[in-house]
Amino acid sequence: MIPWSSFVQKAQSLIDPANFNIPALSSPDHNPSKASLFRQQFRLPDSQNPLQEITADLVLPLPNSSTNQGDGSRRIDRAGNTYTGRLHLSERFICFSTQPTSFVPSATASASTTWTGQTHGTGPSGNGFILPLSCIRRVERLHSASHVFSLALTTWNGLLNKQQEPNFVPQRLILQLVGSRQACERFCDTLKKGLREGMKEVDSLRTVVSDCYSEYLLSGAKGKGQDGNEADTRQPPDAGLGLIFRYPGDARKLRDRSKMRLWGEYFRGKRTSIFSLIVFPTSDRYPPENGRNAMLIRQPTFHKLIRVGLPNRLRGEIWELTSGSLFLRLQSPMLYQQTLAKFDGQESLAIDEIEKDLNRSLPEYPGFQSEEGIGRLRRVLTAYSWIDPEIGYCQAMNIVVAALLIYMSEAQAFFLLSALCDRLLPGYYSTTMYGTLLDQKVFESLVEKTMPVLWDHLTKSDVQLSVVSLPWFLSLYINSMPLVFAFRVLDVFFLEGPKVLFQVGLAILRVNGEELLETQDDGSFISVLKSYFSRLDESAHPRSENPKLRAITRFQELMVVAFKEFSGITHSTITETREKHKGAVLENIETFAKRTSIRNLGPESKRLSVDDLGTIYDRFYETLYQWEQRQKVIEEETRRQERKNSQRLSMLAPPADTQVGRVGLGPSPTHMDYDAFREFLAATSKWAVADSPGPSTKESSSGKSALWANRRQPADHEFMQRLYRKWATNPEEGLNLQNVVNGLARLKGSPDIMNNINYFFDLYDDSGNGQVDREGILKISEALLFLSRRGFEGTITATPSVENLNSMADRDHAENSLTTDEKFLGSVSAFIRRCFEYADPSHPEHQKTDQQDATAEATEKLDSFAIGDDDEEEDLIDVDDAKPTNSPAPDVATQLAKSTTAELVSHNQNHSTSESANPALDPNNPLHITLPTFRMVILADELLEQFFESYFPQSFHLSDHPHPAALAASSTMSSNLTTFSNLGSIRSPGLAAGSAPIAGASGGIVPPGKGLRGVLDNIVSDGIRMAAEVKKRMDEAQRDLERNALGREEDEDDEDDEDYPRRENTATAIPGGIPSWGAGAYGADTERRSVVRDADRDLLEGAEVLGGGKEERNSLLDGKDDVNHAPRKVSSSAASAKGGGSPTVRDGEVISKLVEFES
Amino acid sequence: MSESASANAPKPSSSVKLVLLGEAAVGKSSLVLRFVNNDFQENKEPTIGAAFLTQKCSLPTRTIKFEIWDTAGQERFASLAPMYYRNAQAALVVYDVTKPSSLTKAKHWVAELQRQASPGIVIALVGNKLDLTNDGGDVSEAAGAAQSESESAQDGDEGAGEEDEVQDAVSGDARKVSTREATSYAEEEGLLFFETSAKTGTNVVDVFTAIANAIPESSLKTGRGTGAGTGQTSLGNRSAEDSRVNLGDRHAATAKEGCAC
Repeated sequence: MIPWSSFVQKAQSLIDPANFNIPALSSPDHNPSKASLFRQQFRLPDSQNPLQEITADLVLPLPNSSTNQGDGSRRIDRAGNTYTGRLHLSERFICFSTQPTSFVPSATASASTTWTGQTHGTGPSGNGFILPLSCIRRVERLHSASHVFSLALTTWNGLLNKQQEPNFVPQRLILQLVGSRQACERFCDTLKKGLREGMKEVDSLRTVVSDCYSEYLLSGAKGKGQDGNEADTRQPPDAGLGLIFRYPGDARKLRDRSKMRLWGEYFRGKRTSIFSLIVFPTSDRYPPENGRNAMLIRQPTFHKLIRVGLPNRLRGEIWELTSGSLFLRLQSPMLYQQTLAKFDGQESLAIDEIEKDLNRSLPEYPGFQSEEGIGRLRRVLTAYSWIDPEIGYCQAMNIVVAALLIYMSEAQAFFLLSALCDRLLPGYYSTTMYGTLLDQKVFESLVEKTMPVLWDHLTKSDVQLSVVSLPWFLSLYINSMPLVFAFRVLDVFFLEGPKVLFQVGLAILRVNGEELLETQDDGSFISVLKSYFSRLDESAHPRSENPKLRAITRFQELMVVAFKEFSGITHSTITETREKHKGAVLENIETFAKRTSIRNLGPESKRLSVDDLGTIYDRFYETLYQWEQRQKVIEEETRRQERKNSQRLSMLAPPADTQVGRVGLGPSPTHMDYDAFREFLAATSKWAVADSPGPSTKESSSGKSALWANRRQPADHEFMQRLYRKWATNPEEGLNLQNVVNGLARLKGSPDIMNNINYFFDLYDDSGNGQVDREGILKISEALLFLSRRGFEGTITATPSVENLNSMADRDHAENSLTTDEKFLGSVSAFIRRCFEYADPSHPEHQKTDQQDATAEATEKLDSFAIGDDDEEEDLIDVDDAKPTNSPAPDVATQLAKSTTAELVSHNQNHSTSESANPALDPNNPLHITLPTFRMVILADELLEQFFESYFPQSFHLSDHPHPAALAASSTMSSNLTTFSNLGSIRSPGLAAGSAPIAGASGGIVPPGKGLRGVLDNIVSDGIRMAAEVKKRMDEAQRDLERNALGREEDEDDEDDEDYPRRENTATAIPGGIPSWGAGAYGADTERRSVVRDADRDLLEGAEVLGGGKEERNSLLDGKDDVNHAPRKVSSSAASAKGGGSPTVRDGEVISKLVEFES
Repeated sequence: MSESASANAPKPSSSVKLVLLGEAAVGKSSLVLRFVNNDFQENKEPTIGAAFLTQKCSLPTRTIKFEIWDTAGQERFASLAPMYYRNAQAALVVYDVTKPSSLTKAKHWVAELQRQASPGIVIALVGNKLDLTNDGGDVSEAAGAAQSESESAQDGDEGAGEEDEVQDAVSGDARKVSTREATSYAEEEGLLFFETSAKTGTNVVDVFTAIANAIPESSLKTGRGTGAGTGQTSLGNRSAEDSRVNLGDRHAATAKEGCAC
């Protein structure tokens, strides 16, 4: 009985390693994953994954020979049909198919889609079955010859009705597994598990099945398959509007009744009519019972019956079954009703659009001239628009759904629509309609390939084919052909998939080829086809002598041409051709979208060049998509961790292995949240790149740090938050392109310094009353330092010897820039001072604070570093009080940095002279500056002026400079940025020599020559720290008024620790200040390090726990290098850990731990 | 009037590809239906992709056969539009006078066409649904009567601007886009401009006639070869309007030149 080919198949599958497969999760590469191919073949919901796979024979016992549950394999062999194929098991389904499959995870796309080849009219699932496990009532292991592993499956077929059906025979099928004992056992184990779960879903099954007309048909009321009205027992299920408004077409002409009878026989497994005896081949003449709806077994007859056109009442059900939407419905039987209830009364754009089209969907069908039909259409479209907001509603869906509703209930149509949008017509109805455009390209290229003469003609006469064919695909021929014929196409389409649309399209052109070759323009081309469609029911050979030939209608001819002549057009043809054109199509759409949206950005955007806008556009979406993608990865990760929730939440969610989003793919995210905005800024401005890839506290707590693994990590600074809030129309919602463009246009659009100053002031004017308070002033200064910590890219040059650091005035160029940076620091401190000086007091009523001496203390402390009322009115971080300034430049810098800190700490050593405490600094004297003051203060300083004039706007890199996006955490970065080890290399390696080799091993070495740059950055970073410190002290003063001086001193010592050991520790990295050997180590280390980094982070996070609240301040620090972040991190956190003991020792411990880890 | 092609002796005939663009439900298809079949349907099936229709327009000197691509208006169909406006010689960008957003969309389309469509494309800006405004309502019986229409449009001009809202409140005028605003925009961009009502037929044929006149002769593919015949550019009774209409200088000039041969 078994044909030769099946032997071959069996043999192949025995060798096939896929026999021993472990389910593989979707791979990130481009090829469809095994799981998705599996789902596609059997049209299963996205929740299903292939768990087990084994070669097997399906034996369908004949009803008359096996009713007595015979178990002899001999008898089985004699009776019934046997198919050889593959048996697949997923979480909830058991599927058997004769179509060859290979889901080897490693297979390439073409190899893993072999099933998409010739299907001979059976569709991808071939002969066999797709049974939800809940359909299985019993599984028995049959005693048979030892080498055959046989299972007998008994289904619920016929038992789900309340009333017993006459002559009821349980549906039973036998599976003979072919494989090693082990493989069979494993399969059975998984099956057992699945069955247990499946048991719980029998009720759903019962509900779902009760909507199927077949249940009604077979329930006994209509034993003979007649369509009378014996509705006294129960109502027939809703088989669409056709039950009320009649089905389209002449039922007699369509031979609806005999088709119905044939289906009844197919379900029941009896042949009663003479007709069927003639029509079907002998092997099919006494078929076994094939079950119904969810329990239906697909034999060749099944596919033939579909080809000849479905009977009206069963059409909806079979569509549901072949498209797989039945399984979606089974998965969440009440989703439709729930969705409607949930969103009842709500409004949306989609609903408005739907409303416009309700009255104009298949208006020629009487059902849609009635409130009943229109109501159904409205509900289905609305419910779908809610469940899939990315698609919402697209014109043409109204036509398709209207057509579905003629044959099926609302719920059925709802799920079928979702199967259409997700799987059968991917991307057709998306907001960019890329699927539609892509398939037009595919169609054109198929025409070119199969009908080159016609194609040439079309090209020559400039007829654009897609203009004609687009509606065919978009509305599935429903409004191109007369309805009866369109439904015939749909019958096959749901079974065999999208290729049918292409085959029919090609056939249309082929049949009309000669006439089309005569046409010269779009108009005549269209009219030829129009008239063809209107005469589909006429004879294809009206003048033929042969009456049989004369009886063939044009439509029949069309079907024959489509499926015979173009049988070579397979699913894989389509898939491959799609792949080929996808890039170009998406690009076209994206060019269009970009062009359009840039043009429509409004007047504000005109201040930026088109190139700039293009850059913003690209970067905006790139950031968004990457962000989205990474979030997806993380979600995937979390999901994988939560094994229990392996079922996807929504059945309608897109397949797991969708690729990175693109504008062209349609529904795109339009808003970026703050974190994505940081990414965007990091790609735009140097200062927005974080100093260290270590996670900030905020991120590590929310697990976001993984998002930035091994990438350029954006900084997180208060300034950026302000910018975000300023740009966003609604910060909750995020920033859209318009916001970003407007924001940048204001900054970059006009080279007006006043504008920039005002803008900056606005950013900090929290109350919006034109005043910035003390807190704000400090924040501004912090921001200035933050923005400048990467240097000025040459946009700012200090006029030499304007400021007081004249000792370095005439050094070489590098040192000049050093002075610029340093001077900027000075400028910022001057800024603070001046702001306080010129500030206006506000709300004098707040004065009444108690604790006078504490206040005084605080004031004094602040004065000591904030007010330069000492001798020469120096800038507050000037170094003269701590160390002499006449040492060589690098040294000065170092000392400067150091002394700054020292100064902060040792406030009671010097400057205690500042008796005349400026009341402005008293936290109890609220004060503010106004915009004019701010402007004045800025303009009073050359560097600040330049900062606002050029640096600040220019630090946003758009198209004008080749953007440093390239700098993504790469070598440029690490060489540009600084490390404290540079500092160390300059400093005398006095203190912690003990840990020298360790530090050396942990990198932190920057090529010589870059050291200077590093020093600068350190200065700046210390400046930032200083500002932070000032602020912190202000807070402290306000909060801890009763704190005594001693306690405070201790406190400060801690902070002191935090600085010193870090420097000392890294300083020891290069004992002699000669980093050459270290540099080599650095090069060799990088790779390994980047691998280790993630793991490091865990360790580091551990260390951070020690560090506690200091973390935030750490993140302000500069001088961190990608490469050496690890030791630094550890050192700083270790240092900040409170407690006696020598910090150096502690450092050593932690570092050695780290080193262990790394090696 | 356009159907009267047979009235005269054979004239040179050429086809012009015309595309309709504009927001959904502004009445693009209805305009075409009015022009082609002189008909109006309340519930017109939505256009899937694009609909193709043809209609002849007879000018004194020649016959223009419009090949009209009526595109779908839903936003997402926009990415298909390049397929349709490819090689178009004329475009009708339609907005709804009762819906300001539709004018914005129309402006986008104009910008798109000016940059992406074939150079020299004749664009007409059309404000449809004039019947919903006061000035449109008055004329509804006298559909197509050019004279009264001309007057009413004049009214529109005056009633435009600040008085719009007042009018709205007082008389239930649904107009939200003033004639003045649209006119000045059309002038700026060198577009033909009309306000029409597909429902009543007001100005519909005029739009197409004006376009036919504005198409440069050079860009016409002549079907039967260039025949003789000189004459006035504009149809007699509509000359008054034509001067009112903001023919872009460029178009006006070429149109006249075109007919000289």
